[in-house]
Amino acid sequence: MARPSMDRIDARAKVTGAARYSADHKLPGMVHGHLVTSTIARGRVVSMDLDAARAAGGVVEIYTPDHRPAFQGALTGLAAVFAETRPPLADREVHYHGQIVALVLAETVEQARDAAALIRVTYEAQPPNSSFEDAKEHAVSPPSVPGLPLGVPIKEPENVDIKAALAASEVTIERTYEIPPRHHSMMEPHAAVAVWQDGRLTIYSGTQGPAAHAMELSGVLGVEQADVHVISPYVGGGFGGKAFTWAPAMLAAAAARELGRPVKVVTGREQLFTVTGHRAASSQTFALGARRDGRLNAIEHATISQSLGEDPGYRTTPKYYAAPNVHISMKITPGLDLPTATIMRAPGDESGSFALECVMDELAEELGMDPIELRMRNYLESTLKGKLPYSSKHLDECYRVGAERFGWSRRGERPGAVTDGEWQVGMGMATAVLDAGRAPTTVRVAFRPNGTATVGNATSDAGTGMWTVMAMTGARALGLPADRIRPALGDSALPFAGSSDIYGAVGSAATATVTPAILTAAREAIAKLAEHAATAEGSPLRGADDVRYAEGRLTGGGKAVTFGELLTLTGTAEVGAQGTSADLDTTHAYASYAAHFCEVRVNRWTGEPLLSRFTTVVDAGAILNAKTARGQITGGVLFGLAAAMCEEGRVEGATGRISNANLADYLLPVNADTVEFDVHFLDHPDTRLSPTGARGIGELGTVGAAAAFANAVHNATGRRVRTLPITPDKLLA
Amino acid sequence: MEEQSQDDGVSRRGFLLTSAAAAALAATAENPRPAAAAATAAPAEVVEVALEVNGKARTLALDPRVTLLDALRERLDLTGTKKGCDRGQCGACTVHVDGRRVLSCLTLAAGLGGKAVTTVEGLAEGDRLHPVQRAFVACDGLQCGFCTPGQVMSAVALIEEGHAGSEAEIREYMSGNICRCGAYQQIVQAVRMAKEEA
Ligand code: FES
Ligand code: FES
Repeated sequence: MARPSMDRIDARAKVTGAARYSADHKLPGMVHGHLVTSTIARGRVVSMDLDAARAAGGVVEIYTPDHRPAFQGALTGLAAVFAETRPPLADREVHYHGQIVALVLAETVEQARDAAALIRVTYEAQPPNSSFEDAKEHAVSPPSVPGLPLGVPIKEPENVDIKAALAASEVTIERTYEIPPRHHSMMEPHAAVAVWQDGRLTIYSGTQGPAAHAMELSGVLGVEQADVHVISPYVGGGFGGKAFTWAPAMLAAAAARELGRPVKVVTGREQLFTVTGHRAASSQTFALGARRDGRLNAIEHATISQSLGEDPGYRTTPKYYAAPNVHISMKITPGLDLPTATIMRAPGDESGSFALECVMDELAEELGMDPIELRMRNYLESTLKGKLPYSSKHLDECYRVGAERFGWSRRGERPGAVTDGEWQVGMGMATAVLDAGRAPTTVRVAFRPNGTATVGNATSDAGTGMWTVMAMTGARALGLPADRIRPALGDSALPFAGSSDIYGAVGSAATATVTPAILTAAREAIAKLAEHAATAEGSPLRGADDVRYAEGRLTGGGKAVTFGELLTLTGTAEVGAQGTSADLDTTHAYASYAAHFCEVRVNRWTGEPLLSRFTTVVDAGAILNAKTARGQITGGVLFGLAAAMCEEGRVEGATGRISNANLADYLLPVNADTVEFDVHFLDHPDTRLSPTGARGIGELGTVGAAAAFANAVHNATGRRVRTLPITPDKLLA
Repeated sequence: MEEQSQDDGVSRRGFLLTSAAAAALAATAENPRPAAAAATAAPAEVVEVALEVNGKARTLALDPRVTLLDALRERLDLTGTKKGCDRGQCGACTVHVDGRRVLSCLTLAAGLGGKAVTTVEGLAEGDRLHPVQRAFVACDGLQCGFCTPGQVMSAVALIEEGHAGSEAEIREYMSGNICRCGAYQQIVQAVRMAKEEA
């Protein structure tokens, strides 16, 4: 069966520069904002000398902790857990290096920037508590957050004595894995253009969830949610970093209200590292107990991190392997003088899968067993807790097909066995499991006189391909070519169902959420259209009792008319309906799977590890657009590999400063660091999840990729690096 | 407890920009931006630049601190060119000046008198996309699209420079353009496709 594949419908706008992202908006009378951030990590602002800045040309206003635009409330909903709850410029206290201490507003970008540089701040500095390393020793159990399962210990069975179970196992290993802080580093910095009219805010601000962004801003600004209009059709990357509302958007909105002029705030690249969220460092210890034949008897997984937002234990361990005794726990290090931790692509799943898939590799070596064989011996058929069956699981096929495509049988069983001149060649594999789900959502489908149909939902497309998937699904549901579908997204005024889908494109659930609702809404819209044809004045089918719709045409009473003609004849701007998808069937558990295979070449003399091949086989239900799905997987894999290859936020313990907060020193993979990935999709539609059968893929590639790399490095060199990233110094030491 | 002053009245970049602009104006450069003088000096700080942008002659009266990137984005409403870092570290702002690729965030507009600038908006001929643009669409060489204008401008230049010979060469010469979405392999395919057509 040929898989559907279509060019992105937003591609043309993006390759010509016509696509307008937030900072590309310019409004009459607009002023430009520039942020000033703290140069200490802990203490207070004693005084600020603003004279020079005030005197500089073009400066309109300077906001500081002593003179700030009004905020009426705090972030609500999930943002209260996953974003910075303290409003910007709240007071003179400084809690991390790079905290906003002033906002300069001026007529031009240059004036704002240079005036900001003229502000002199005097601080009363205290030694910061910014070292996660030091804080680990004093980690505490996290407070429980109502409605959130994160950070809550998981025990199976409830009265498990994990130490006894480990002690009773034939083979045990215990290993600790460390991951440094990481930053989303989406190419588009957070930016917002805000304008008020008659007490209503319109804000161009890139977000993964326009409706949630409107809700959060309304809370902070003390206005009704309906009075905040978020417009965000193009988002220059999100990866979780634009799931919630951050200070730059709040300040733009509040300053615009105060000044009565449109305000643009664009975050500087180094400021992004501190004034928006990041992935906190984590330390994970796994203890595994197994029988000699590879069957797991006990899994203990203990994590320490800055916050509970990315609990790797909860997100990972119950989803991979069967074991009769499991104990998962988490501790956090509150009160660190560090920027706010939030979620990042595959939160918890990425870090958890790194540790789990490495420790499984270590156990396989200990047992002298093939790593795939070890995984198959512990294959999970139903959920650890509650024993729910999986809706559609073909992970075994992923392993089989992947091993074959990759040539896994050529892997040297003994580490360091395969060399090619000065290069040591190694192969590693890892599993990826990502919970799949969907929320009921509401979509509006409407027919228009020009022969096109709109399909709208308050979701977003930060590169995921949602524009195109909506057009393709709308086309399928209405029997029209996709170029006659006009998708609408990235706008808080578009429909959504409520609290469960308000966050838009998060958790890799957008496709699974939105597409079934398109089918429902299309059915409703077709019914409305048929009724219109039978009853509306001017309709050639008026009075017919057998009106039918197919492929854009209505027939009835022996006559036929296209919907475009019909609406033109009846003088109707549009006929449409909203439809809400059904609730999820909770008798099953849902997840997407992949098996990753990685080959690396490590230079014997320099220790440089180079990625040389990567195969991934994906079981993610139906693939609705092979073209964009492939990009999601290849991009996701590289995002995960980056953790192993190069990414690392470096916090200076003594000052709390991130010493590499720029794109030259915070290393991201570039084109020359990568190879062509071999991606293969299994096609097993998950029709229990939804009628379109599609599960999420946005984060799947990211999960497990770093472990596949680390395992390959070990196979190449015999060296096991448990602290990311895997840099040459660690391989030479 | 210690008193500490944030005295970076002139950031390194601010210094470079203002001093370069001042030098260009043959003005005194020993104190690039005396704060007190700023307000009074502001109205005088305008330079006129005549250049060509996407084939059209433009004359701009500019604050000498304006980078080419901000001139395009804020003065000419050519927002296709993106600001990813403003520090020459990401490639999102890549444009052509007299046919060569430059980072517009590191280029002062005041120095471009008589030069011809091409941006991503200047590639297509009417509705007809440039072969590189067509290839990016066909090969899905983009996701969020924010790095894309810079990638496209680099790709056009490297094909013209004769640096699109092999996959390795393309990867090397495209490595000044970061794509956080990780569309690299599709970008390489697009460059190859466009090169075949060229
Ligand atoms: S914006 Fe110029 S290189 Fe990043
Ligand atoms: S397409 Fe998003 S950064 Fe390249």
